[in-house]
Amino acid sequence: MTTVGSFHNPLSPFGRWVGRGLWWIEHAFERARASGRAEDDTRLRIFCVLALFGAGFVVLGLGATRAALFSHAGGGAEFAQPAANARADLVDRNGQILAVDVIHWGVYVDPHEITRKPMVREALLEALPAIAPAKLDKILAGDHREFVIGDLTPEARQHIHDLALPGISFEEETARDYPLGPIGAHVIGFASKDGVGIAGAERAFDGVLRGEGGGPAPLSIDLRVQGALQDELQRAGDMFHAHGGVGLVVNVRTGEILGMASYPSFDPNAAATTDPAVMVNHAAATVYEPGSVMKIFTLAMGIDAGVATPDTLFDVHSPLVLPGQTIHDFEADKGGGMLPLKEVFTHSSNIGAARLGLLAGAGNMEHYFRSFGLFSAAPSELRESTHPILPRKLSQNIVATMAFGHAISLSPLAMVTGMSAVFNGGTYRPLTLHRLAPGQAPAPGRQVIQPSTSRTMLNLMRLNVTDGTGRKADIVGYRVGGKTGTATKVVNHRYDVTKNYASFAAVFPTDGPLNADRYVVMIALDEPHPTKETGGFTTGALVSAPAAGRVIERIAPLLGVQRIVLPGDTGGKAPVDPASLSGEER
Amino acid sequence: MILASIFKRRVRGFRVIDLTAFVVVLALAFTVYAFKTFAGREGANIVDVENQIGVEDKRVRLLRAEVATLESPDRMERLAGAIGLKPVGVDQDVTAEALPQVATAKRKLQPVEAPAPDAASNQAASNATDDAAALSPAADPEARR
Repeated sequence: MTTVGSFHNPLSPFGRWVGRGLWWIEHAFERARASGRAEDDTRLRIFCVLALFGAGFVVLGLGATRAALFSHAGGGAEFAQPAANARADLVDRNGQILAVDVIHWGVYVDPHEITRKPMVREALLEALPAIAPAKLDKILAGDHREFVIGDLTPEARQHIHDLALPGISFEEETARDYPLGPIGAHVIGFASKDGVGIAGAERAFDGVLRGEGGGPAPLSIDLRVQGALQDELQRAGDMFHAHGGVGLVVNVRTGEILGMASYPSFDPNAAATTDPAVMVNHAAATVYEPGSVMKIFTLAMGIDAGVATPDTLFDVHSPLVLPGQTIHDFEADKGGGMLPLKEVFTHSSNIGAARLGLLAGAGNMEHYFRSFGLFSAAPSELRESTHPILPRKLSQNIVATMAFGHAISLSPLAMVTGMSAVFNGGTYRPLTLHRLAPGQAPAPGRQVIQPSTSRTMLNLMRLNVTDGTGRKADIVGYRVGGKTGTATKVVNHRYDVTKNYASFAAVFPTDGPLNADRYVVMIALDEPHPTKETGGFTTGALVSAPAAGRVIERIAPLLGVQRIVLPGDTGGKAPVDPASLSGEER
Repeated sequence: MILASIFKRRVRGFRVIDLTAFVVVLALAFTVYAFKTFAGREGANIVDVENQIGVEDKRVRLLRAEVATLESPDRMERLAGAIGLKPVGVDQDVTAEALPQVATAKRKLQPVEAPAPDAASNQAASNATDDAAALSPAADPEARR
């Protein structure tokens, strides 16, 4: 063997071994020739090359076969990104659609492809009157393809397509549709064309609705309840020519909001052209002085703090005089001047409530009213939930005034959230627009009053409907309780007696276990006008209570509330055993 | 040796190993072609079906929106009012157990002499009773919800 130098690998013996191998292959021909069998070397080399290429071809063939059989055919569809503004469906608690993405079409015009521009112009303007003629003229005179108009339904697109106009093309757009129109408009809210939630639940649950692969997002809203609530609110608002109005229905046990309405309503499909003032959700975003409805919290405070019982007597025979302020009652004749607390409630005596507030003191009022959530914005998924307007400090005058619902302005949502705690056994928890799954426990809350106080308040509410100012809300068989409120509004820093905020807060059924399903219905009209039927008055008892009663009559069967007609129950006169006001659980 | 004999064997002048390799390569090429063609056809079908599903899905969404509009509470309210439907009154909402009392009360209000029995009137009365029972809320608990 000829030694042809050595492969010098200064690093290791391994390098020298590799080098010797390579040279052995290179010198195979010389060896074969030396052994007299030169052709063997060539065949060997050819065979090696063939085998190498053959193996390579087999590998490539197997790979191609595998790719053909097991690749994701049509994977382009899987990997295609959803439209940037796509949103999941919004549905009510029973799966009824509230908001849904639908395919609309945008129309594009390419002037290069149009020879008879006047004909195309005339045909387009006739088929789509919403097109601005000046804009179309500019596009036709231009030199590139441009967008003309969008939001075309498939039927409208087909109609334009059937005209067979040259230069017209369409592109798909994803549009958000609100099939119910004004029903639930304020609580559903609306989204922008870019698919971003702007108001209501669309904004509150924006992240969930825009999440990838998300199914329908169910709200706690019951469309049937919402429809009845909104219909009665609309009827009352129209009847009394109110400036505005609010309706709420909640389940006090679970904290679910079943209905939320504002008057007047609007069509979220036309949100871009609607007056922004109309789109305000007054239930959450507007504050009002509540008036006598506040006495629910005042009495709950007094009874729970132990400063009074339903039978404690209060002197209401003359106005309550405070430094710089005199508190009067609307109702002059209250039978002798000394009223038990339960009659302070049923007569809606401001003097009695003020005396109770002063008896409890600023400390108790601060503690209880804060615990009821009255001193802060209602905790809610709705971003619109607004803060109350509060006095700087709870002076004697403020305590007395706040006891009957003035000197504080808060949203109806905050009021109802606090009321839920009064009527559900005493647990304060935020109201929610999330639907609770069957069997799911409500969100944990905090105990703010004793269960016995809650029972007493339910009975007082019932007494107020049978024997007090809330008679017009009573519906036979549903054991309705309620409290009226009529708050004179402040205009230019002075109370204007011609402008009221008239409200009624109802709860039903008032009997049964404290941990049973129970519902609060609130109807409030802002600046209602008197009618002949109301004798020129615009109190909560006359304008809001009847509407609340009608709502209860319509929704109680939907909510599964059993109608129990007691002997002698003729609507408003079911007797309440005074002993039941002790607060003992039944 | 056996390996060498395999390499040396010939058929009609061609080495067996060469012929075998040639046949294997042809078979591989044909197999790959067949699978690619088959898979390509199926892939095209799948894309077609998925496109159709996409189109139908959009149509379904549009139809669901239309159904929601048609079933909206205010429209139902208007339709119900137009055909004279009203909410169930307190005196119409009874349990099955209370039906005999309701019947007794009605009979007291409007006493009617029983007609002469005959087959036709008996059958008509039976049918009317069955229909009333079927339509009453007591017979259909769902109607009371």
